[in-house]
Amino acid sequence: MRIASPADDKAPLLVSAVGGDSLPDRMDALLSGLMEAAAQRCDYADARIVHSREESISTRNGHIDELDLHEAEGAGIRVRRGGGWGFVATRELTQAGLEAALARALEVAEAQPGAAPTALTHEPPARGRYDSPCERDPFEVSVEEKLEALLAADEAMRAEAAVAITSAHFQAWSEERLLASTEGALCEQRTVDCGGGIAAVAVGDGETQIRSYPSSFRGDFARAGYEHFAGLDLVRHAPRVAQEAVALLTAPACPAERTTLILDGQQLSLQVHESVGHAIELDRVLGLEASYAGTSFLSADDAGMRRYGSEHMHVSADATVPGGLGTFGWDDEGVAAHRVEIVREGILGGFLSSRESAAEIGLERSGGCMRASGFDRQPVVRMTNVNLEPGDAGSLDDLVGATDRGILMETNRSWSIDSRRLNFQFATELAWEVVGGERRRMLRNPSYAGVTPEFWAGLDAVCSRPEWRLWGVVNCGKGEPGQVMRVSHGTAPARFRDVAVGVA
Amino acid sequence: MAVTADSALELAERALAGVCSGDGAQATVTSERSLMLRFARSRATQATAIEDLTVEITVVRDGHVAGATTNRAHADGLAACGRAAERAAAAAAGGRPNGEPGPYLGLPAPAPLRAHAGHDGETAFLDPARGGAALGAAFAATAAHGAEAHGVWTAAETEVAICSTSGVAVSDLLTDAFMKVTAIAPSGRSGYAAAAAVDSKAIDGHGLAERAALKATLGGPQAEPAHLPPGEYPVVFEPLAVGELLWWLGYLSLNGLAVAEERSAFSGRLGRRVAASRINLSDSPRYPATLPRAFDLEGVPKAPLPLIQDGVARGIVHDRRSAALAGDGAESTGHALAPGGSPEGPAPTNLVLVGGGAADETELCHPIERGVYVTRLWYTNAVRPKETLLTGVTRDGTFLIEDGEATRPLADLRFSDTVLGVLERTQELSARPVLTSEGEFYGRRFATGVVCPGLRASAMRFTG
Repeated sequence: MRIASPADDKAPLLVSAVGGDSLPDRMDALLSGLMEAAAQRCDYADARIVHSREESISTRNGHIDELDLHEAEGAGIRVRRGGGWGFVATRELTQAGLEAALARALEVAEAQPGAAPTALTHEPPARGRYDSPCERDPFEVSVEEKLEALLAADEAMRAEAAVAITSAHFQAWSEERLLASTEGALCEQRTVDCGGGIAAVAVGDGETQIRSYPSSFRGDFARAGYEHFAGLDLVRHAPRVAQEAVALLTAPACPAERTTLILDGQQLSLQVHESVGHAIELDRVLGLEASYAGTSFLSADDAGMRRYGSEHMHVSADATVPGGLGTFGWDDEGVAAHRVEIVREGILGGFLSSRESAAEIGLERSGGCMRASGFDRQPVVRMTNVNLEPGDAGSLDDLVGATDRGILMETNRSWSIDSRRLNFQFATELAWEVVGGERRRMLRNPSYAGVTPEFWAGLDAVCSRPEWRLWGVVNCGKGEPGQVMRVSHGTAPARFRDVAVGVA
Repeated sequence: MAVTADSALELAERALAGVCSGDGAQATVTSERSLMLRFARSRATQATAIEDLTVEITVVRDGHVAGATTNRAHADGLAACGRAAERAAAAAAGGRPNGEPGPYLGLPAPAPLRAHAGHDGETAFLDPARGGAALGAAFAATAAHGAEAHGVWTAAETEVAICSTSGVAVSDLLTDAFMKVTAIAPSGRSGYAAAAAVDSKAIDGHGLAERAALKATLGGPQAEPAHLPPGEYPVVFEPLAVGELLWWLGYLSLNGLAVAEERSAFSGRLGRRVAASRINLSDSPRYPATLPRAFDLEGVPKAPLPLIQDGVARGIVHDRRSAALAGDGAESTGHALAPGGSPEGPAPTNLVLVGGGAADETELCHPIERGVYVTRLWYTNAVRPKETLLTGVTRDGTFLIEDGEATRPLADLRFSDTVLGVLERTQELSARPVLTSEGEFYGRRFATGVVCPGLRASAMRFTG
């Protein structure tokens, strides 16, 4: 065991008292024993021990604004007895602590009104170990190196006088998970996520405008090591970000009209997230999330039947894409990562599902989408990497060049959609007027609105594979108590016809 | 009922004892014992019991603040956390290229706290049978209307303890309970009711389900919702919708950091009219029906703070970080959301809007010839924060008001309007403010709510 001290020069900030990311010794034996005991007392049980770490560093106007390190470990035990589920989270990783948690989980399951048991799809027991690719462990990189990169980017945005606030951000997470179940699962996985970004806020004459890179709301993140953050090259983009924030202060407002809309990859990733990713969660489709996240305009028997969008729309949910925040070895029910086809040529083909929800609609196998945000939350149906497949429209410049008149919008600024995932409104940081195949004036306060199937029916071009990349979304909220999940969406810029813009 | 063998304050003291560098340090322990029962389609679906705590050690060095957290409360875990916090603070202090000090003013000195009635021993027992009974009652009540129940019953005991090198040594033991019921009729229409309180006995599962089911079936179980074209309409908001708008106002505009950085609608507007004269808004941590707190996460005592009086902007909230930036004698008002102040700034956690002269929301409808009745708002988000421009949709009980009465269901509507605009156009309020809460518990449980009445405004902009 090594503990970092203030005297350690250039040491990583947080070195676990239990030895790096490793879970405490003999946890696999302890969990296996617990599951043997649970099998005598309930119909099904699983248990996860999770050790998680997070490092968050921000600068603001040249000062270090945030430098926080978080570490937590504990066990989440889920049982099913009769028709009732019970879940207990405890930080007591001892035999006595886990047995007490199991007893409490059974008590909670039994206290609820009885219901007929539901089926679970069959799944071979998960066994083995998975490690997400990571060239350079971000927790082994010195804080000084990270601060140097952030402060340099922050400084490079402050040449513009009208820029009132500059910020730069780095964040990394690691999770070590051990899962066991009464069906014989025993698997371990470690994932590492990393990324960051910059933003400049310009203030002038009653107007406030923000510009970000590479993505809004703290940046872009991937299931990767420090190499992903370093590859963002924040310093190089900082002057442009500041200049665009200032230019937005006096740019003409986005007009209110119906027109052709081109979305950059980042905004399109949010569009996919909100109007496709959540709508295809099978728990929502079945009405199981009506009280919080909401339901869906889709029904379970729509698969293979319903037109979701135009023939250019191809969507998959793929938990095996390298770098995706929804990429893993197994989900938190022990279902091996795999790809599920969601939309093909505009027709709905499948859903995001769990073992229970998949069984309810007669599927043979879960979609492998049960994910929990830590040891203290139970798994719920979540997005993995819900990707809009690339098309053949070439580059973004090609797509703009092939557009007579329209608006190109970049970088999400706000989002809202109704509880059935139909009626949405988005705003972006910046837009460009497109006339005669060329970008013309910059436009401020762009926004657009639509209804999901009508909007996707207007999709008539998606840029080609070289423009396609994953975008990380690290603030996806769902579940009660609330869980924040990290997911990714692969997109390339795309064009939509006849969209209402300038709505806010 | 504490989650550790030691009290939370003793644990904070032990954590602080391990810190030996820096200009000051604070140990903050937040513990949670909670139980949440979810239900859908009138059956129990998920139940979550949590017993956990977080120890956060914050170190100040040369005006810079940094910290580390852990839930490993044994000696090795606390020592590792303390050393990580010290190292982080040293790195923050050394990170400035020219070595100038950071802006943090230092940890606050101790100050007297006021007692409150924010804990109920029976609620702290977290009896799953009580929750199960509430679910059963809700299922029966909705079934009587031919509807199904969806929702949550939850209760918790939480404790916050702070110990600092400046002499603060305080703890706050709290309970909270919350239940919501969304009733969905066979037609697909839905209705909603919710309640929050310190005492779980105040949560009436049957009553909530009855109210929700009545909304889901208003106008008859098969009544099809009418569609209203986009435009401006007079509106009556139930308290839950008012609470949502006020929460956003607190987050975007009453936030002292946003004001100091000229990002707030209140920047430069203190002392000026910002709302109708009947709007009186304060942050009142011991107001009846609120979820009280004794101090903020820097250990600064909570106290009543006027924010809008008779429509005139009178105050904003600060933590020590935003107060330092604001300068001009500004001090913390006890609204820190994190030790050392949150990067997002401070926020009010006990907003109270004083009631008006209407008996209830039904009476608020009376002067309206044609308008919209809103039970709650959903997926609200800021479009242009400085203008308090929000968008969102109505949900679970939107009705057409005709000739002074809510007569028939409306399809949900999207709105795009400013919070201050709605408050400027407010004509009347219902008499009795009630505690409203969305019952969202991300991260460590931190129950808050807005105490407010229903509201009638002369116009609201609906966009689709």
